[in-house]
Amino acid sequence: MGARILSMLTVAGLAVAASGTASAASPPAAPLKVVATTEDLGSLAREVGGDKVTVDVFSRGYQDPHVVDPKPSFILKLVSADLLIVVGRELEIGWLPPLLTQSRNAKLQPGGQGHLDASQNVKILDIPAGQITRAMGDVHPSGNPHYWLDPDNGRLIAQAMKDKFSQLAPADAAYFAQRYADFDRRLTEAQKRWDAAMAPFKGAKIVTYHRSWPNFVDHFGLNVIGYVEPKPGIPPSPSHTIDLIREMKAQQVKVILVEPYWDLRTPQAIARDAGGEVLVMPPSVGGVPEAKDYIALFDFDVNLLVATFKKVGISR
Amino acid sequence: MIDTTILQFLAAPFAASLIVTGIHAYLGVHVVERGVIFVDLSLAQIAALGATIAILLPFTDGDPHGPGVYWMSLGFTFIGAAVFSLVHSQRARIPQEAFIGISYAVASAGTIVAMSHSTSQADHLKDMLVGNILAVSWSEVFQTALLYGAIGLFHYVFRKQFLRISTDRAAAVAEGMRVRFWDFLFYASFGLVVTRSVSIAGVLLVFCYLIVPSVAAMLYADRLGPRLAIGWTMGTVVSILGMYFSVLFDLPTGATIVCTFGVVLILMAIVRRAVFGRA
Repeated sequence: MGARILSMLTVAGLAVAASGTASAASPPAAPLKVVATTEDLGSLAREVGGDKVTVDVFSRGYQDPHVVDPKPSFILKLVSADLLIVVGRELEIGWLPPLLTQSRNAKLQPGGQGHLDASQNVKILDIPAGQITRAMGDVHPSGNPHYWLDPDNGRLIAQAMKDKFSQLAPADAAYFAQRYADFDRRLTEAQKRWDAAMAPFKGAKIVTYHRSWPNFVDHFGLNVIGYVEPKPGIPPSPSHTIDLIREMKAQQVKVILVEPYWDLRTPQAIARDAGGEVLVMPPSVGGVPEAKDYIALFDFDVNLLVATFKKVGISR
Repeated sequence: MIDTTILQFLAAPFAASLIVTGIHAYLGVHVVERGVIFVDLSLAQIAALGATIAILLPFTDGDPHGPGVYWMSLGFTFIGAAVFSLVHSQRARIPQEAFIGISYAVASAGTIVAMSHSTSQADHLKDMLVGNILAVSWSEVFQTALLYGAIGLFHYVFRKQFLRISTDRAAAVAEGMRVRFWDFLFYASFGLVVTRSVSIAGVLLVFCYLIVPSVAAMLYADRLGPRLAIGWTMGTVVSILGMYFSVLFDLPTGATIVCTFGVVLILMAIVRRAVFGRA
């Protein structure tokens, strides 16, 4: 096994050397064709890949990535892609698998060289322990798929992309390493800014529409006391709503966080009763025009949250 | 300009749309004659309720494509077929569409109630039960062709009985036909087709393939033969056009075909008026 890896590395090394000498004469290698299922992954791929990759994205940031209506161009992009990056954790289970089969691109199938499940080495929350039963309520069997909303996970995703890009285009490994280091530096800078802005509100209690923010609240130390619709698309029962309003009043919770693709009527009705504010916050790059890349998304969300906390007079 | 590599990926969806056109344009004639326009939506919803309940039961292991789920949804479809064949009473002042609408509403709400009792795997259940014609595979096309071939043969063998009841129910009863029995066979075979079609093409598209060719044909012909010919032609032409537009403008394929059906129907109505004058 070790010998095999070693020989593979040698071959790769020779290939790098060969391409290095050849590049003087031949035109530069075509950029890697990367397809990402969401704009968050697309943004991170652009950060790391620079002009050595082309990035196509399927689900727009203002759309619910659980439900995507496939277009013919999706198949064409999958046919010619070198690498497919997915969120995983069953997020795309409703629409991607048949398209992937249809594309007949062997590299891109799960387990293939050109398939990167971005959730593989990040911190995943809400993984149920032991047997899943119905009594547990809303549970993602493989954990919560909204893990990109923790900047530390963003860094890990970018790192996995750097490794995968370098594996597929070894000649550009140094370039990807340098792009990654630059992104890492900018992200670390930005994190100091976000952490400072959010510090006064550590432990602040909020309600969210659906379980899309566990990584975000985990990172910034917020406290989610309940959900408007424990299951998406299923209206909550009256007793659930009444309990939630009672809890919000008892614990002085003033902020309800909602993703842009849900209907605002239920959260607004609850906010009216409990005397709180509904805050529509994009969970993805491109969810609002200002959130044009991964770092801008957090800039936007943190600013919005801080402004709302100040407005309702919460600190701690 | 269209990238021609897409054509090989549209071959299976196109074959599927031809098969769906073949049986639905025919069943559509019955459905329009009987005035039970929304029966397919209702049966599809009843089948979905069956599938949802099956997924919640322990024996299916929550696998939405497993055999347990399929048989359960088929069983529900047959119960629905039985209900529709029983509620059709002779002197009915209550139109049958009322029962169909009620079944649709109750089955839809039942699905929501059932899903509220599931783990969140059921979040995606709706999407998994409703197919997308763009993603249909050749093996699904072949299985569907076999099933529809068998059902088509069944309807061809008993065409006299089915047509008699659809076009002149009162006469069929007067002749002593066992109308309820034939009604059950009609709705059961229809339910089989609709459940299968929805799983590969989606609800909206299946409804259009059923109703629009039949209605368009009635603009131009009264006899069954010409109506079927016009319906099949229209279904095929719209499938081709819809897929062409879907690729040309890069739009979701199913929805584009549905819109094309609407536009072509309007054009056909305008042409009829221009050529034959006011009817």
